[in-house]
Amino acid sequence: MSTSPVIPVFNGRTLAFLSLRLWLGLRALITGVEKFSARITIQEPLLGADGKADPSGAIIEIERKVYGLSHYNALPDSLRTKFAEEPLLPAFLMSPFCAVLGPALIILGLFLLVGVASRFALFAMGVLYTVLTVGLMLIGQDAGVSWLAIHVGLVALALSLADANRYTVTRA
Amino acid sequence: MSLPTPASGLSRRRFLASSTGAALALAAAPSLFAVGTGETAARDRPLRLAMIGFGAQGRVLVEALLKVPDVRIVALCDMWDYARVYGERLLKSNGLEVTGYRDVEELLAKEKDLDAAIIATPDVFHAPHTIACLRAGLHVYCEKMMSNTVEGARSMVVAMRETGRLLQIGHQRRSNPRYLVTRDRVLGEARLAGRITGAQAQWNRAVSEDLGWPKKAAIPADVLAAYGYPDMHTFRNWRWFKKFGGGPLSDLGAHQIDVFNWFLGRLPSTVIASGGNDFYKNHEWFDNAMVIYEFPLAEGTARAFYQVQTTTSSGGGYWEQFMGNEGTVRISENPNSTVFYREAAAPSWEEWVRKNYLRANAAPAPEPGAKVDARETAALATYRLPVVTNKAIHQYHLENFFQAIRGRTKLNCPADEAFRSEYVIFKAIEAVESRRLVTIEEPVI
Repeated sequence: MSTSPVIPVFNGRTLAFLSLRLWLGLRALITGVEKFSARITIQEPLLGADGKADPSGAIIEIERKVYGLSHYNALPDSLRTKFAEEPLLPAFLMSPFCAVLGPALIILGLFLLVGVASRFALFAMGVLYTVLTVGLMLIGQDAGVSWLAIHVGLVALALSLADANRYTVTRA
Repeated sequence: MSLPTPASGLSRRRFLASSTGAALALAAAPSLFAVGTGETAARDRPLRLAMIGFGAQGRVLVEALLKVPDVRIVALCDMWDYARVYGERLLKSNGLEVTGYRDVEELLAKEKDLDAAIIATPDVFHAPHTIACLRAGLHVYCEKMMSNTVEGARSMVVAMRETGRLLQIGHQRRSNPRYLVTRDRVLGEARLAGRITGAQAQWNRAVSEDLGWPKKAAIPADVLAAYGYPDMHTFRNWRWFKKFGGGPLSDLGAHQIDVFNWFLGRLPSTVIASGGNDFYKNHEWFDNAMVIYEFPLAEGTARAFYQVQTTTSSGGGYWEQFMGNEGTVRISENPNSTVFYREAAAPSWEEWVRKNYLRANAAPAPEPGAKVDARETAALATYRLPVVTNKAIHQYHLENFFQAIRGRTKLNCPADEAFRSEYVIFKAIEAVESRRLVTIEEPVI
């Protein structure tokens, strides 16, 4: 019968992995949530210093950031258009990929933060970022490719430290 | 057939009603306050309107009226059968059965349950039509200019005071929330311009063909003559003829010079001007004019330059702007032409941004080599007005008129106030024609 190695609580590898788990989890979670956001313009009465509506009846436009399922937008329109024009990207995969991207980032981010299937979450995240990178490579967005490469590097580093994982719901 | 006269077409009942109203009104400053207790019945029921004049401006007003709740056009008057029938069909398609009339006199004689008249006839008819309606007991909304003569405009104010009815003049900017916020909040409360030293306004239009008409719809010569028109061309293009209109300074300048007076809170003391009939050879009124007023404000003199050109649309549209040592406020009925400029040395405008009186625009990227003279002032930061207008531009002013009839507010442009403002336009025309500086005294009614 084998026994699991005892990992000290404040082991440097443990803290390094915890840091990466926290950063990558928040990064994925917030990126996913932001895909459900939009800036909308609302109209409301202009208020005077007394808090009452201006006597002119003036209506002002105020820009607000809101969240909601109806505002979901996986990719900026400009990026989506370029992907659609790229012959090496299978068009039939665009819609399902876009439908999955936001929810997947949220789920993977939550998995990492809570500590559920951390290795699987990290690997899936690496695959997701790699798929995104392929698209950016094809449309020649080198800055975006470099940006995602840093993410993939951090995922790989985290995976290499995964045996020091602590404070999790599941060990895997 | 003759032009309507003030006393014609009045029933005895209407005469008695308006005479009694006049006696009461002389003491009640009717132009400033809502109508009296006799009008309480009109507070909650739909107002019954007569539309008098269905030319281009009449159509604009009808389009706005159709969007105003609780008012109903029941009579339509125009001397041109072609325009009147079109109007009747338009209104019918909007669910309104109206009775059509060629003459205002006939309309007033037969329509007994009217509350108000909306007048959009040529300028020369404003005074006789307005006075006839006021004396018939109606409240009146009359398009600007009040008249093509000072005497005509003055007679309208006198009739308003005598009858005790409301008379709103169609300087619609005075009810536009964007103009009200700019005047009262931006220039007034916030004093964003600092000390105002100059003002400028313009309306430039491209050359256009004179208006024509379907030959089969031409008005018989005897009918035209009865209204004073020598021919159909003059009838269709009356704005260019001195007997009927006031020319571009009156048609376009009236709105904008009124904004000078309204925003600066007083009338100018002098005017010099130049203009001429230089391009169109078949018009009487000048096609281009440039005017400079001097406004002796409490803080010092401000000079206001106005130009109207009907031979070029160049120069950036139509707008009015007020320039001071701390900023410039450019306002227009077109929101895209509205912009505020902050002088570099001016106090921060952040407080007014927080109060939603303005929004900062993104600063433009500096252009290398754009400055060719060391004395050039750097490009100013720009701001915009966040106030939006969700209604037709005339609708606010019409709604103000109807609310005043219902006793819920006061008129934003009563005839006596409009007369003072339009008086300085007549003085600008006098300056063009006399080619000399004209002194402007407070007009006497």
